[in-house]
Amino acid sequence: MKVIVCYKVVPEELKIEVNPDRSLSFKNVEWKLSQYDLNAVEAAMQLVEAVGGKASALTVGDQKVENSKLKKSILARGPEDLYLVKDEQLKEADTNLTAAALAGAVMKIGFDLVLCGEGSSDLYAQQVGIQLGELLKVPVINAVSKITPDGDRLIIERSLEDEIEILEVSLPAVLSVTADINVTRLPGMKEILAAGKKPVIEWDLNKIGMGHDLPKVETISTLAPEQVERNKILIEGDSELQIAELVEYIRRELK
Amino acid sequence: MDFRKTEEQELLLESIQELVERNVPESYIKECDEKCLPLTKLQEALIESGFIMIGIPEEYGGTPVDVTTMVLIGELMSSLGVGHSMLSNALQVDDALSFCSPEQQKVVMHYLLTTGINAFCLGITEPQAGSDNGAIATTAVRRGDGKVVINGHKCFITNADRAPYIMCVARTENPIDERHKFSMWLVPMNSPGIKIRHMHKVGIRMSTLCEVYLEDVVVDETALMGKDGYGFIQLMKNFEVERLIIAASSLGMAEGAYNDAVAYANQRVQFGKPIGSYQLIQEKIVRMAIKIENMKNIVYKTAWEKDNNIDISISSALAKLYCSEAAFEVCDEAMQLFGGIGYTSEHRVSRFWRDSRMHRIGGGTNEIMIHVAGRAILKKFK
Repeated sequence: MKVIVCYKVVPEELKIEVNPDRSLSFKNVEWKLSQYDLNAVEAAMQLVEAVGGKASALTVGDQKVENSKLKKSILARGPEDLYLVKDEQLKEADTNLTAAALAGAVMKIGFDLVLCGEGSSDLYAQQVGIQLGELLKVPVINAVSKITPDGDRLIIERSLEDEIEILEVSLPAVLSVTADINVTRLPGMKEILAAGKKPVIEWDLNKIGMGHDLPKVETISTLAPEQVERNKILIEGDSELQIAELVEYIRRELK
Repeated sequence: MDFRKTEEQELLLESIQELVERNVPESYIKECDEKCLPLTKLQEALIESGFIMIGIPEEYGGTPVDVTTMVLIGELMSSLGVGHSMLSNALQVDDALSFCSPEQQKVVMHYLLTTGINAFCLGITEPQAGSDNGAIATTAVRRGDGKVVINGHKCFITNADRAPYIMCVARTENPIDERHKFSMWLVPMNSPGIKIRHMHKVGIRMSTLCEVYLEDVVVDETALMGKDGYGFIQLMKNFEVERLIIAASSLGMAEGAYNDAVAYANQRVQFGKPIGSYQLIQEKIVRMAIKIENMKNIVYKTAWEKDNNIDISISSALAKLYCSEAAFEVCDEAMQLFGGIGYTSEHRVSRFWRDSRMHRIGGGTNEIMIHVAGRAILKKFK
C-alpha cells in the first residue's frame, strides 16, 4: 500500500508573544511539527508495517518547511521519503490553497491512501483533509479512530458523539485521524541518525502544475483578545440560592 | 567554539524528555523515593524504546554515541528527576564487555535487555578500603579442583540486593607486582555464603546500598573477569567519562531545582508581592544562574575535549569536583527560596537537595578529585 501522510509546520504556541497593540509576535518562535499530524504518521507506519508498502511524508508551505531539524524529525518517525512543496505563495495559505497544493503533489507522487491529522495544532480548522479528498475526487472520511486493513479496502471506525460508526472504504481514499487513534512512537537514536540520509524531494507550485495568481484569503489583521481584569468573585456553598447567584453573574457578564 | 547542539542531539533529547514525561510522572518518582523502590516504569520504557542500548557497542546491538551526547542525556535525565543511572549502567556494561568472557557477555547483555539494569553490582569498596582501594582485603583462593573460594566484606555496594551478580574485586594469589594485585570475579549473588545487609541512604533512594558478606563462597575458576591481576586496570576504560557523567548529573539536578525555584519566585506572594520582586531573592536566583552557567561550561568543554581526543585526566576531576559542590549549593539555595515547603517531601526540591549531596562523595570523593588534579597540575609545571 502506498500511503502519503501530510503534516504541517506550526509555531510553538508557548513562544508566541502578544505585542502591546494586541498583534502577535512570532519573533522568538520555534517551529515544530503539528502535534495531531504525528498521529497520522503513526497510523501510516502501523498500516505499512501490517500490510507492506511504503509511507511517504508530504508538507506544503513557505521556506519554513525547509527547517532541517523538522525534516529529520518527521523522517525519524518512519516515512521512507519526504516531499516538500516550498513556495512563498504558500505563506499563510488558507485551507483551500493548502488542500489544492497537497492535491497537486499527491497526484504527482501517486497513492493508495492519504492520511491527515484531525486538524493543525495552530489554527485547527479541520478542513484540509476533507477538501483534499474532494479535490482528488476520492472517498474522504474524518474523525477516524481505528483503521483495519481488509484486502483491498479498509474497515474504518469513526468516534461520533455517542456511538462508533463502522465504515468500509475502498482505495484510494483520504482519511483524517483523531488524536487518540494511537500513541505515537518516539524516534530512537538509530532512527534519528538514519533520518538525515533519507531522500527529500523538493518542488515548487509550478512543478505540481499550479500556476501563479492563486486565489488566496488575505489576512488583514490578527489580534489577541483584550485582557480583562478578573472579577475574583467568590461564591461559597452549593445551595440553590448560591447556584442562582452564580448563574445571575454569568448572565450579566454575557449581556 | 560552538555550543549549539546538533539537530540529532536535539531530537534525541526531545524523545527522551517525552519518554520520561509520558511514563514517569513526578508522583511515581516521589513514591519510589519514599518506598526506596527502583524506577521500574522508567527501565521498562527505556527497554521498549531501545534507549537502554545508548552507549553500548554496536556489535552487541547497541548505539554508541559521543561523550557530549552522553553528557547531555545525563544532564537532561537528572534535571527531570530520574537520575543518570542509565548512563552509568551503559559505561559499566561497556567496561565489562571489553574484557569479560563470551559467556559473561551473554549474561550481562541479556540482563540489561530484560531488566534495564546492570547484571552485576560493583563490589569494590570495603570498610577499610574506601578512597584507599589498595587496602582491599577480600581474598580469592584457587582450591586446585577448578573452584575458587572467596572471603571478604564489601560495603556501600549499590543495588547488591537487585543485581544477580557481584563484580567482586579480590586480592590475587601470588601477584607479579604491586600493580597487578587484584582480580575480578563474577559471583552469583545467590551463592551459598553470601549475606547482605541494607543501609538506608540520605538520597538517591531509588537505588539501594548494601553491605555484602562473602564467607567461603565457592565459584568456578571461569568466573574470573578478564585477566588475573588486572582488576582495576580493566576498569580504567571509562572512569574519566564516569566522573564527567556525575558532573553532568549534578548540573541536571541543579537545573531541575533552579527551574522550580524561579517559577516559584514568580508565584509565591508575601507582603502583597511575588517574592521574586525582592532583591534578596533575585540575588539568590542570579547566583544560582551563574553557577549553572559555569557548570555547563566545564561539563560541555570537558566532553568536547574527550570527543577530540584531548586528555581529560585533570579536567574530568575538576568538573566532578566543581559541579558536585556548585550543584549542592544551587539545590540548597533553591530549598531556601521555597522556605518551609522546600524542607518537606511535598516538593521535589528536597529530593534534589538530598540526591545532589551524594555526588560530593560518590564516584571518587571530592578530596580524591583534589588529590588527582592537584598532583597532575603541579607536575605540568615541573
